[in-house]
Formats: sequence, structure tokens, C-alpha cells
Amino acid sequence: MSDKKGSIRFSDANIVYPNGAVGMKDLNLEIRPGEFVVVVGSSGAGKSTLLRAVNGLNRLTSGTVEVDGVPVPQKDGRELRELRAGVGMIFQDFRLVKRLSVMSNVLIGRLAHVPGWRAMLNLWPAHDRDVAHKALERVGIGEKTWVKASQLSGGQQQRVGIARALAQEPAIILADEPVASLDPVTTHQIMRDLVRINRDLGITTLVNLHFLDLARQYGQRIIGLRFGELVYDGSAETVTDEDFRNIYGRDFTEDDVLDEDAV
Amino acid sequence: MPPVKPARNWWLWGGAIGFLVAMTWWSAVGIGFSMTELACNITGGGRLLQESWPPDFGFLPRLVDPFMETIYIAIIGTVVGGILAIPIAVLAARNLTLGPLVWFADRNFMNVLRTLPDLFWAMLFATAVGFGPVAGALALSVFTIAVVSKLWSESLEAIDMGLPEAVRSVGGTWLQMVQFGAIPQGLQHYVSYVLYAFELNVRASMVLGLVGAGGIGMILETQRANFEYERVTVIILSVLVAVLVIEQISESIRKKLT
Repeated sequence: MSDKKGSIRFSDANIVYPNGAVGMKDLNLEIRPGEFVVVVGSSGAGKSTLLRAVNGLNRLTSGTVEVDGVPVPQKDGRELRELRAGVGMIFQDFRLVKRLSVMSNVLIGRLAHVPGWRAMLNLWPAHDRDVAHKALERVGIGEKTWVKASQLSGGQQQRVGIARALAQEPAIILADEPVASLDPVTTHQIMRDLVRINRDLGITTLVNLHFLDLARQYGQRIIGLRFGELVYDGSAETVTDEDFRNIYGRDFTEDDVLDEDAV
Repeated sequence: MPPVKPARNWWLWGGAIGFLVAMTWWSAVGIGFSMTELACNITGGGRLLQESWPPDFGFLPRLVDPFMETIYIAIIGTVVGGILAIPIAVLAARNLTLGPLVWFADRNFMNVLRTLPDLFWAMLFATAVGFGPVAGALALSVFTIAVVSKLWSESLEAIDMGLPEAVRSVGGTWLQMVQFGAIPQGLQHYVSYVLYAFELNVRASMVLGLVGAGGIGMILETQRANFEYERVTVIILSVLVAVLVIEQISESIRKKLT
């Protein structure tokens, strides 16, 4: 085992929702530090469930999920918060405080790293402001630091979301449909940002996508889910249309790709 | 074929209107309301109006101090109550509360506060800390908690839970989830409700004086008891003007907020 951080391991993991829906079925999966993994599957296949199990936003019904060899705590408390502090998450709907500055939003990523009273009184240590600012520069919007989040475009808002995750100085980033609310041009920019960050910082990155061509273009490793079950696990270079058909359980259409020429 | 418009349920409407008429009739009989009596006594009301006119504007200068006292009472009540309402509202919001037991206890606490009228609280505190403005301020604090926590907990329940979840995903505590994820979304509503509570408090602090809780209401009560109706008129007119002015200001601020 390398001592690099950011490994994830699911062992016989199951999630059944209170309404009986199966979110994850007998999942055995190992993700090595620094991997860039794209998770595909039709809606309801359990893509979000998989990501949210890694940081304990979804609880397992049985089995285990470990981050760096430590089981993800299945109840709220200090241990779970400590784990989450090292796992960044990016959301489809950005989830920013719209009325506040970009800086205030990115500092939220530092919450678990500073004494509680300092965060509460907005007295952020210089070091943490510095981390936040560097995160913004890494996604190329350092000049927007003091702009109100609501005044940014969708792509810029998602970059703030990425910067918030980076400010955590995480070993793992979970991106849950990060480009689903963006136009095609911005989509490619954000995907390139994620790939670049993964390469430069070696942060293990899991990205949920529902566009097949994007998965193929940006993924190193592709994981296919169907009804919560792992049905494909392989490299992006060798994945075939037949594989995608199997993942989706149907022929795919132009709705499944971003660029229609790719059908 | 276009869909057929469903027939109106005449029985339901007829029944509802009939029920309202019956209830009103029954209540009128219950309080001994009679048109003839009203007609016979209307002259009494006229005499009162006559005695109340013209207003004794010479009395105005003596209103300034109690008037300011009323405003002070309203301000203290609004600020103290507004602050205490924050945790009470958060714990009463189903999506934010700490657990079903806390939620249940807090909800019931709020219900008790709201069920008891402000006059009751004024009398209670007047007994406890003595007659005067302090009793009034305490009563209005409770009243403000009741108003703001009820309204705000409901708007907090309607916030988008995505942001609070994002705060939890970075390893934030419950308190941080509330502070950074929930309150920013409910802030405008909060300010608006506190201003609304201030309007109510100015009006209420006029009445609270009647039970000895300080302010202009106390003057009103003494003048009325002495049959100084021309002075009572001045008091009522000035209260009317003050309430209108404060409501206008508060309303324009609230409009700008939303």
C-alpha cells in the first residue's frame, strides 16, 4: 500500500432507501489515490448514492465504505466531520450563498479547519484566507474574490464551488453532476478544470456524468451503474458502445450525449 | 373534445353560507345585540363625541415624555424579543431542528407564548417587577418572540436545503450548518418580520399602559378616568399619527428588502 491519501474501498455495500428503493447493491469497489473516475448510468442508477456514501451524506444499510482504510462513520459526530473535512464535494446546483462574496463562500471550505469561534465571528486566520484565495486562483477567478456570488455566471459559480472544495485541501473530490446546469462550452471548461486539478494536486476525483461522450473524453476509469449495481468498470479508452448500451439497458440517443455528432 | 368544466358544488357553497349566517345570528343573540337598543342609545355616543371636541392641543407638550417612553418600550421589546426568537425559530423549523423531542418542546413553548395575549404578559410582569415601562418592555419581548419565531420558523422550513447540506459536506457542525447554510437564506425574512413586530409593538405599547405598563397608554387611562375627553382625543390622534408614520417607514424598508 502506498501512503498516498485518497483511497476509497466499498465492501459488500448496500443502501436501501426508506421507500424501498435500492440505491446500492452489493458494491465492491476500490479506488486508488489520485484516480480520476467517471461514474455513469441512467438517472436513478445510484450515481449520487455512490458519491454521497463516501462522505456519509447517505448511510449504508449494510457493508462498509472506507476512506484511507478508515470506515466512514455511519452516524453524525466528530469522527464523521473530521472525515468530511478532507473530502470536497461539488454540486450540480453550485450551492453558494448568493448574497455573499466569493471569498465568504470559499471560506466555508475552511470551516472544519479553524476554531469554531473564529468562524462564527468571521475572524478567519490569515493562513485560511490565503488558502481560500489560492484556491480561487487555481480555478482562474482570483480577481472575483470580492464580487457577490450572485453576480457571477453559471460557469464562474461552479468554479467558486470547486474553489470551496479545494479550500478544504482535500484528498478526495466528489463532483455530483457538476456540469448538468451548464452550457456545452462551460461544461468543457469545468471538466478540464477538474482534470487539471486532479493531475496537478493528485486529488482522487469521482465525477458523476450522464453524458457518455464526456465520460469517454475525460474519464480515465469509467464505472457504470445500473439499479445500484456495478455493471462496468474499465478504462475510458477501451469502453465500447456495447458497454454503454449494457449500462443503460437500452440504445442510447442524442439525449445521452452533449455533442450530437457523437451518436 | 375539450375537457368538461366540473359542476360547481352548490350544496357545499349553500351549506357554508347558511352555516355562517346561522353562527352570526346565534352569536348576536348571545351577546344581546339588538338594533332598537342601538338606535335608542346612539345619542349617548353623540354626547361623548361632543365632549371630545375640540381636541385640547394645549395638552400636547405633556405627551412628549410618555410618548418617548412608549417608543423606548417598543424598541427594547423588539430587540430583546427579536434576538431570543432566533434560536427558538431555528429549533422549531422541522428541517433544521436538533431532534423530534426538541422540536416538539419548542413548538409547544411557542404555542403557549402565542396563545397568551400581550395584555396578560403585561399584567404578569407588572406584578413581578412593578408597574412601569420595564414591565411593558418585558411583555413586548415575549410578544415579539411569539410573533417572530412563529413567522420565521415557517419561512426557514421553506429554504433550499442544498446549501445547509453543502456546509455539512465540508465537515461543518450543526451550528455552522445553521449559521452558514440556513440563516443567510432566511435573513431578509427575519429583518422583515422584526420590523413588522416593531409596528405591532408600537401599537401594543399604547394599550399596555392601560394595565400599568408605562408609556402613553397610562396617560390615556388617567385622562379617560377623569373624563378629560378633549385630552383623550389629542392622545388618540397623536397615537394614530405616530402609528401611521412608523408603519409607513417600516413598510418601505420591508418592501426594499424583498
